[in-house]
Amino acid sequence: MARARLDRRLEELHDAVRELATLALDQLRDALSALADCDPALAREVVDGDDRVNDQYLAVERLCIDVFALEQPVAGDLRTVAAAFKISTDLERVADLAGNLAERALDGCTPFAEVDLASLGARALAMLEDALDTYPEGEAWACHEIADRDTELDAMCAHAGDSVVRELITTGDGDTETLVADASAVLLAVRDVERVGDHAVNVAARTLYAAEGDPELIY
Amino acid sequence: MSETTSETDRTATTTAGESEERIRSEWTEYRTDKRTKIAVENLDVWYGDDHAIKDVSMDIPENSVTALIGPSGCGKSTFLRCLNRMNDRIKAARIEGSVELDGTEIYDPNANLVELRKRIGMVFQSPNPFPKSIRENISYGPRKHGDIEKGLLARLFGRDDTEEEAELVERSLRQAALWEEVNDRLDDNALGLSGGQQQRLCIARCLAVDPEVILMDEPASALDPIATAKIEDLVEELAEEYTVVIVTHNMQQAARISDQTAVFLTGGELVEYDDTDKIFENPESQRVEDYITGKFG
Repeated sequence: MARARLDRRLEELHDAVRELATLALDQLRDALSALADCDPALAREVVDGDDRVNDQYLAVERLCIDVFALEQPVAGDLRTVAAAFKISTDLERVADLAGNLAERALDGCTPFAEVDLASLGARALAMLEDALDTYPEGEAWACHEIADRDTELDAMCAHAGDSVVRELITTGDGDTETLVADASAVLLAVRDVERVGDHAVNVAARTLYAAEGDPELIY
Repeated sequence: MSETTSETDRTATTTAGESEERIRSEWTEYRTDKRTKIAVENLDVWYGDDHAIKDVSMDIPENSVTALIGPSGCGKSTFLRCLNRMNDRIKAARIEGSVELDGTEIYDPNANLVELRKRIGMVFQSPNPFPKSIRENISYGPRKHGDIEKGLLARLFGRDDTEEEAELVERSLRQAALWEEVNDRLDDNALGLSGGQQQRLCIARCLAVDPEVILMDEPASALDPIATAKIEDLVEELAEEYTVVIVTHNMQQAARISDQTAVFLTGGELVEYDDTDKIFENPESQRVEDYITGKFG
């Protein structure tokens, strides 16, 4: 077959992206667990594990550059490689966000009663898992559903942020410095979770564009 | 846009359809910004019983590069030759349909073929300079057309365009990015030039008669990468003043240098004609996708 070598390279690229996805998802799962269980040892593992993610990200980047340089892909092949390049960046950033969450767990657990960070995190994690399940075939309905779920997650995160601010205002007593530090930590954690949802949408959007040529979720 | 196939192998949601509509509308805006130089309507070509071009319609915008791509035998060179009636020379060829240059039918029985081929020049796959000096290669066309006169007879009649010829030779060679390489040997035989230089000389020769359209039939297929790059740079520059239509087997070349690309597939069918970016990033037709990604052809 005329394009057997290109097909081999694309399969190798898909495998590398899946491996990166597995690493990033593991990092995020562990970070959320460390945060929920106040587990500094697990949090330390996440922080230390970021190098493996970065190495795999660079491996994906290398494969993309090889395909661009050596195969000059066009049409669906071009979209596939461009999508892999973009998706790998999203996954690397998800792993960075997992690192942020783990560092907050290392700083100590600061639960605000009104903020169910574990639930928000679980939603974002599930969105990313589902987005990656669509890769590389990109079923349109599944990709659009992830975008819809992100709208819900954004609203929930905004509500969580409001709750923290409201609790700060209504709980006037206590050590102000500690209260502000705790609130900042929770707000930043909520923001990190919200951004994981955004990256899940990016993954779905790029997968859909690669598979169907449909740019709707990108723009 | 001309689209001679109704195939739609893609399933698109309403939102995706709307998005495609937006992209298409942007493309239409771009296309309508450019005036149509050549309008082809329902063109059919037969070589005897062989139906080489089937009902092709397309508008070629002026001052741009239009690439024709497709597998061997798909009819792209036949189509190119229809644009300046080169197929008239083939007895078995029969042509139906319309080709208009600036709104005037070129297949009108009263059309002046010499004038037509002056307005629509052609550069072929293999460089074919005359076995004459570099200077004479350039001035041959204008002298034949009576645009310049020189020599004893011209002097006797009070017209000696030697200086004008020198200017024309320099201008044409500069336009073809060859002047710096040959200006010290204009009277040397053109056959002594390298392949890439010979091809640029042929382009200069074509430019010397002041055409409006330049047809190129795989002009770089016999050249090395450096000579090819020079031709590609030249094509891009020429498109600022001329309308260029180029047949190429090299899809990366079409992607690099053209503004719009027409994809012909086996049987003389124009399957898709669109912005080059669109063709190479997200073609409409699954057959075009399969062809340009090497899944067939």
